[in-house]
Amino acid sequence: MREKGILVWIALGVVLLAVLNLPEAVSLQVKAALRDGVAPLQGALASSVRNTKEIFRLIRGFGGLAVENEQLAAEVVRLRNEVRDLKALDRENGALRDQLKFYKKTSLQMIPCEVIARDITGWWQTIRLGKGSTDGILPNMAVISSDGLVGKTVAVSSRTADVLLISDPTCRVSAQIIRTGAFGIVSGSGPTERGQVTCRMEFINKTVSIQPGDEVITSGLGGVFPKGLLVGYADKVVMDESGLYQRADVIPRADLGLLEYVFAVVEQGDAQDLYLRKKQLVKEVKP
Amino acid sequence: MIVVVMFFCLVCGAVLQAVWPTWLWLGQASAPFLLGLVLYYALSHGDGFMLLAAVLAGLLQDALGLIPLGYSSFCFCLTALIVSRFREMVFSGDWPAHILFGAVAAAGVSLVLSLLLSHDGRLLIGPGWTILKAFGAGLLGAIVIPFEFRVLEALDRMLGNLHERGR
Repeated sequence: MREKGILVWIALGVVLLAVLNLPEAVSLQVKAALRDGVAPLQGALASSVRNTKEIFRLIRGFGGLAVENEQLAAEVVRLRNEVRDLKALDRENGALRDQLKFYKKTSLQMIPCEVIARDITGWWQTIRLGKGSTDGILPNMAVISSDGLVGKTVAVSSRTADVLLISDPTCRVSAQIIRTGAFGIVSGSGPTERGQVTCRMEFINKTVSIQPGDEVITSGLGGVFPKGLLVGYADKVVMDESGLYQRADVIPRADLGLLEYVFAVVEQGDAQDLYLRKKQLVKEVKP
Repeated sequence: MIVVVMFFCLVCGAVLQAVWPTWLWLGQASAPFLLGLVLYYALSHGDGFMLLAAVLAGLLQDALGLIPLGYSSFCFCLTALIVSRFREMVFSGDWPAHILFGAVAAAGVSLVLSLLLSHDGRLLIGPGWTILKAFGAGLLGAIVIPFEFRVLEALDRMLGNLHERGR
């Protein structure tokens, strides 16, 4: 009996040592396989929770449906007019760019994704998407919601992708203030005591005047986030203790606590990368 | 049969832990369903099942988050070993003991994990937030784990696993 106990302890020690010292690639593969195995269940549970919420919301909102419908109809008319005007402006803009021989701005492709879970440990600000590499998602892709920037993909398996939110202190985004053109780095500062999610923009030129409410967008530097995605709005501005640069609190535009559907942004480079990878796979399969 | 039930419960626990909401005033700590499973197997089954549950639960927790593989397994094994020392002192239906074990183990695991991750430079949070999170984990552990024990015990009894253990 005692020998059996000792054997169990030795086996445990060996297993733990092996797991802790797995090569990075193997570790990622194991993680991806486990994630893919649990993903269908997570997806099903997330959908059920969402449907139940919708039913309750519907029951609560019955009275206001007629009013809401009227408002939406008015909004549709307004938006149609706006789209018509914008189309005309787009054509005019394209023509002018052609005349000036500017490069044509490539439109971003979006992959719509459902949020199926949040970080299981609570240590990081992450969400899990129900789509992965088979749907065209790669690591380090920008993820946005209809309101603005949400984060970037960090761990991608064939069926899931983990997104590090901009509210996490380890997520860093090269950003720019639209009004002044000043650059800086936005990183998460976690939730405040009031429950509001905030970020912090650092390394802003100390001579630039920043006002609360200034729009902050991605600068396009750094290679992960395309230029021009709305991050949020500047709030409190202070001079850094070193006196070398300014720091501003940034309130994210996207509501990071209530994400249900988001979009992974495919840039031209990503599409090419995916194309090459698929081509490589085909080559490998061929005898 | 015990292993089949264990796998099923581990997957359910992992899924529940991932979709369970977190609260700011509890330091956004997640409900420790997987740790509860480890404690259950530590208190009600043999060493082999206990360690298997600890390693698998840890692997699942690490795989479903950003923690490097093996960290949670290490913490869970350590907790299971400590808790199993008290196995003979705890009665199966002892609510206060389960509440106490749940709270202390959840808070302890949270602190050890934060130390490991901070030491690695993977975690950038202050000591205040870490303590709040450990408190939150402890509170959630005290609430969730005793109920989890009852559910698992009922499941094991229904499937004859507790009888099997007696033999």
